[in-house]
Amino acid sequence: MYTIGKVATLAGVSPDTLRYYEKERLIAPASKTAAGYRLYGEDALRRVRFIKTAQHCGFSLSDIQELLKLRQADGACCEDVRSLAIQKKLTIEHKVKALQAMSSALDELIRGCDGGKAETDDCSILTSLETSLREASR
Amino acid sequence: MVKIEIIAVPGCGKCASVQGELRAVAVSLLGEGNVAWREVNVLEEIDYAVSLGVLGMPAMAVNGELKFSSLPTPDQFRALLAGLDVG
Repeated sequence: MYTIGKVATLAGVSPDTLRYYEKERLIAPASKTAAGYRLYGEDALRRVRFIKTAQHCGFSLSDIQELLKLRQADGACCEDVRSLAIQKKLTIEHKVKALQAMSSALDELIRGCDGGKAETDDCSILTSLETSLREASR
Repeated sequence: MVKIEIIAVPGCGKCASVQGELRAVAVSLLGEGNVAWREVNVLEEIDYAVSLGVLGMPAMAVNGELKFSSLPTPDQFRALLAGLDVG
């Protein structure tokens, strides 16, 4: 059995994170000591590593809850998990596209500005943003 | 010609069974020669799916515009097609 500190160290997360996972019903201590300290088994450590890896792939905690539910559901199959992964990829691709649009907008602002020691009142980036604000509020 | 696209993951059983029914609705309403039906494999055409605004599957686009984020019922689909300006 591991204490919360030990699991935290082994899994590379903070004890607060583990308490949060417990609140979100993602993990549960196997037992508690007489003094009320949480004790975790090997399965909890595996579960925390699973959560971390899934987060690394972009899954949110609620996605992870769904993945874990699918793992235990009788009627679920690998295709259900794959579908969830594809949906997540679509969401990420949407975000990538939005970020690319932001990056292009910034490129345009940077291209149009010479920088230097000019007064900020004459800065083309600030002027462009002000103009866009005025146009948007019309 | 009305372009109807189903954006889905290949092997989606749910899509296959509903698709046949929806296609029959389109053909009966518009005529076989006026329907361009296409299945879009989201994994092969993810950029296209993103450009349509697809976030969930199976989705349906009509004439290049996302119309349903999950497959419609035949009645919903019929109503959409009836409202189309097919020129």
